[in-house]
Amino acid sequence: MKVVTGVVGNDIHVVANRLIDISLQARGFEVFNLGVNTHLEEFIDAAVESDADIILISSLNGEAEGWCRDLQFLRAEYALKNVVFVIGGNLSVGEAKDEDIVPKYESYGFDLVFHQVDLNTGLDKLEEFLGKRS
Amino acid sequence: MSKLLIDVGSTYFKISSDDGVEQQFRDFSKTIFDDLTSKFGDTINKYNKESVHICSSANGGLSTLIIGLTNSFSLKYAKNIAFNSGINIIDTVLYHHIDKSAVPGDLLDVVIVVGGIDSVGGIYDDKLFKYLEKLSYSNIVYVGSQKDAQYLSKNIESLVVLENIITDKLKMKEEALKEYLTNLYQQDIVGKEDIKHLYELTSNQIYSTPYIVNQSLPYVDARHEVINPFIVVDIGGATTDIHYSRDLSRENMLSESEYDRLVFKKLGVYKSKESLIFAAKNNEFVYELLNYLNVTENILEQTDEKALRVLMQLSIFLVLCKVSTHNSMYITLNLHLLKSIVLTGGITKVLSFEEVESIVQFFYKKILHTTAIPTILLDSNYDIWTLGMNAIEDKRIENVN
Repeated sequence: MKVVTGVVGNDIHVVANRLIDISLQARGFEVFNLGVNTHLEEFIDAAVESDADIILISSLNGEAEGWCRDLQFLRAEYALKNVVFVIGGNLSVGEAKDEDIVPKYESYGFDLVFHQVDLNTGLDKLEEFLGKRS
Repeated sequence: MSKLLIDVGSTYFKISSDDGVEQQFRDFSKTIFDDLTSKFGDTINKYNKESVHICSSANGGLSTLIIGLTNSFSLKYAKNIAFNSGINIIDTVLYHHIDKSAVPGDLLDVVIVVGGIDSVGGIYDDKLFKYLEKLSYSNIVYVGSQKDAQYLSKNIESLVVLENIITDKLKMKEEALKEYLTNLYQQDIVGKEDIKHLYELTSNQIYSTPYIVNQSLPYVDARHEVINPFIVVDIGGATTDIHYSRDLSRENMLSESEYDRLVFKKLGVYKSKESLIFAAKNNEFVYELLNYLNVTENILEQTDEKALRVLMQLSIFLVLCKVSTHNSMYITLNLHLLKSIVLTGGITKVLSFEEVESIVQFFYKKILHTTAIPTILLDSNYDIWTLGMNAIEDKRIENVN
């Protein structure tokens, strides 16, 4: 399966990005890594050009909340119905509870939301989700 | 062996011989050949055909329409490659909006269709063919996913299929399209009847002038007091070209060439003077700029030397605006990083260093909000052009050996 990944917004956490890339490859995914400082439109555009199955966005500085609000609009623009949208990392600025954060990102249009969840646990859950869906 | 270098511009000729560099305005009532030989016949006759090297920018430039899948990849990459190959972009179409997109009425020199990495298929359908039926174009080239190449070739007459410009890792691969477009541009220039005639004077290939300037750039910082990253602004009679180091571009595209080029077809000070004035009047800072230069807008209607100087200063300001963050329609350069601005072309024979410096100061203060400006160099003796012509000739000899 093809995965487009990268760090959204003004966020330069390159080590986390690299670890996600390596972990995805180790699990057999074909990875298109857009790197750090990536705009939301670029994730969508990369998925269109590569016909990707999954968009996995990471955010470490909590800025994703502002950068991902237009996701529903962009999803509709290209009719990306079958693409799985995943976001993970530190998804809020300051303290925030899972029960507040997760519904918020789901309302943006994400299928899976991992706030302060260990990388491998998150990827296990992604594979579980893909398994159930197929 | 000494060489004679000739540049045929849209407004004037210049030649570089053993006696130095000379330039003269063109007489548009004559053909290029007659005009050139009447003005420089004595000099030309001193050289044999093997020693004469000609480049031309007269009437150059191609129009294109790019049809692509996304703004961030296919359209962005194709636009970048086209700009660097002498193309004047007229329009782009996002494929999923093709039903609602306007159809350009003028004849297009080339249509570029692009989208998808090689493993992706089934991107295009009847919508593309219906749109193309309404278009009028001379050439069409496909540089997208190779999986769709056969299907498109069957349905589009005279389609040229080249290597995909998007790699399997979503990076840009420019060589094949760049070579194709550069050759089209070259054919466009040398194919013009007027230029073909010039082969009576030379046995060497006639090149396009922007190509020559671009070839000189890797050597400019070694030969001049120029610090990298720099830009070269070539303000001519019909067009204004800006050549820039890729370090200044925020586009973050990987390619072999270190220097890119943008051409503004309507910012020349003679043949496209009217469109330059139009562009100036539509710029929000222009009245403040005219005030800064101690003139009123009436100067734009005048034809004396003072008016020409102001027009040239305006064109410097406008071209910097067009590549700054102030204007997102073109490629944005990080002008805060810029260390040197080199000006070449006819402008260096008219404007003084102080006049150029004052306009650059105005631009940096007004648009970039800083008083620190890059160093400025006027290429008054057309060294960049002669450097480029000699670099091409050296490369040719190297290839022969």
